[in-house]
Amino acid sequence: MSFELVVAILIATVPLLVIFPSLFALTTWLERKALARIQNRRGPNKVGIPCTRIGLFGLGQPAADGIKMLFKEDIVPNGADRLFHLLAPILALIPAMLVLCFLPLDFSFVAVWDESIAKDIKAVQGFALDGAVIFFFAITGINTLSVFMAGWASRNKYSLLGGMRAIAQMISYEIPLVLSAVVVVMMVGSLNAKEIADAQMGWNWYVFTPWGLAAFIIFFIAALAETNRSPFDLPEAESELIAGYFTEYSGFKFALFFLGEYISMFAISGLAAVLFLGGGEGPWVAVYPWLAVGWFLAKIFSLIFVMIWLRGTLPRLRVDQLMAFAWKFLLPISIINILISGIAWHLREQGAAVTAGVWGVSLGILYVTAVGLNKLNRANVKPREYKYAE
Amino acid sequence: MTLEHYLILGAVLFCVGLLGALTRRNAVVVLFSIEIMLNAANLNFIAFWRFGENPEALQGPLFTLFTIAVAAAEVAVGLALVIAVYRHFKTVDLEQLDTLKEE
Amino acid sequence: MTPEITFWVLAFIAVCGALVAVVRRNLIHGVFALMIFFAALAGLFLLLLAEFIAAVQILVYIGAVGILLLFAIMLTERVTGDDGRSIAARGWFWGLAAAVAVFVFLLLPAIQEADLPESAQSIQPSVKELGLKLMAPYVVTLEVLALLLTAALIGAVAVAQGAEVNKKEDSDDA
Repeated sequence: MSFELVVAILIATVPLLVIFPSLFALTTWLERKALARIQNRRGPNKVGIPCTRIGLFGLGQPAADGIKMLFKEDIVPNGADRLFHLLAPILALIPAMLVLCFLPLDFSFVAVWDESIAKDIKAVQGFALDGAVIFFFAITGINTLSVFMAGWASRNKYSLLGGMRAIAQMISYEIPLVLSAVVVVMMVGSLNAKEIADAQMGWNWYVFTPWGLAAFIIFFIAALAETNRSPFDLPEAESELIAGYFTEYSGFKFALFFLGEYISMFAISGLAAVLFLGGGEGPWVAVYPWLAVGWFLAKIFSLIFVMIWLRGTLPRLRVDQLMAFAWKFLLPISIINILISGIAWHLREQGAAVTAGVWGVSLGILYVTAVGLNKLNRANVKPREYKYAE
Repeated sequence: MTLEHYLILGAVLFCVGLLGALTRRNAVVVLFSIEIMLNAANLNFIAFWRFGENPEALQGPLFTLFTIAVAAAEVAVGLALVIAVYRHFKTVDLEQLDTLKEE
Repeated sequence: MTPEITFWVLAFIAVCGALVAVVRRNLIHGVFALMIFFAALAGLFLLLLAEFIAAVQILVYIGAVGILLLFAIMLTERVTGDDGRSIAARGWFWGLAAAVAVFVFLLLPAIQEADLPESAQSIQPSVKELGLKLMAPYVVTLEVLALLLTAALIGAVAVAQGAEVNKKEDSDDA
């Protein structure tokens, strides 16, 4: 364990541990402000610089919330399983932070005081793991375990029910998530996140192709469901199940769940940016290579903003509508998407006319499938009959 | 670590699984133990692949992949059977499921 | 230095996880110990440079089989084992003796007398090669596996749904 290796490992991991929690704080502020503006009000704008009356648009609100959570009393229910009650929020946070390592963020522009160390740092950067995408999905699957632990350990029927529903939702939506990522993996021919990002050089991002666009939409919807975000937030809904599987959590443990949820939102948006939006690509990257991180974070933030926007706009789905949507709509469409992208990959270098024909046919097939599945899933309700008292 | 260490570890895990399968009364715990045994066998396959000759043929990982898939299918069907048995007999205690025994 | 420590730590965790899963009265604790066992085994696969298999182990066993076991436990009885019944079957001593005998008289001699290669091969593991092998010589196995998984899926749903569906149809006919 030489000194250079230790410094290299620190530079590869410490920015992640520092940047993403501060982005989490910024995102909570952004969410409250954006939701407020959608709902025609202003959101927090009083908490700014302490001990003064200057409210800097409420930017001190995340800090105030954090301090409040730290000082709350930690209540554990009487018959609860104490070990699991403690472990569940920790187990919710670990996979979320672990998957951040698989994203191709390159922090090699961090200034190092010694040139000999800077040479070795390139060796640990960008974590070019050969099976990065599948490790991402494997570790995201561990979230379900922490949800079950939280629901079971609280010794509360509503928590258990909320936990079971949350697990059912998460495992149902894992399938369209993985199948729509398979489309991009097929086109690139590698599971390596860096290679997938490099294959989208210039402006040929995968989201600009018909099958890529369909895959991106399916991936985004499934990502919303995986992180229990609205309109799929039945497990956390206040009007349904009090707070679902984290009813009995207070204080810092609740803050850990919250942190885990937001960081897994970042991680899945990061994967969507790598797979479909050409993570790190943008104008002037060839000239200034350190801009790649900036573009990557900008893409993640735009996806997070769309998630917040959807939360403020759409009503919540009922649990049977949610499951029917995953199994009867998203799954068939993602399978047909894989078929279409396979055919398109075989016909890829055949000239402009063939490419245009393939695009047209695939758009047609996807549209017809979506409309057909929609009609098939529609409930057969006859028009209403009114009976009057005679 | 040499191959012997991995093989002895696999053997110990296999025997722990065998202990569970032969000793416990609850049908679900017997299914856990079968999974432990299958995983120990997978460990053996990968260890032999790593230390043996001709690793480019990738036979270790391929066999392990198929074993994992078959084990998952088997545990699904096994648990469905346990649920059906519970619904009929109202117990999963293997000592009490003895209707096929002669009196 | 470090691979040795990692091996011993992971081996210890795996054996402890398996023992706790098999011995523990509370089934939920048993399932979580089993998942720790699966995770330790995934770590051992990573040490043996089988990255793809480690990822598949986590994805299938911890993410799917573990959750399935938890759901199935919820649907049966005696989950926390709070009643005073014994957990061991009637012939538990002979089970223990058989397991120890298998280890001492069958497996240990087989390992010690076998002609084992000494040093590890230097492998460049690659997922692309695995994919090519699955498509070129082993595609029939892959398709049969797909058929098996489909049959298992349909069978598990049919068996677990129970006899109530049939009863309703009978009463409609009569």
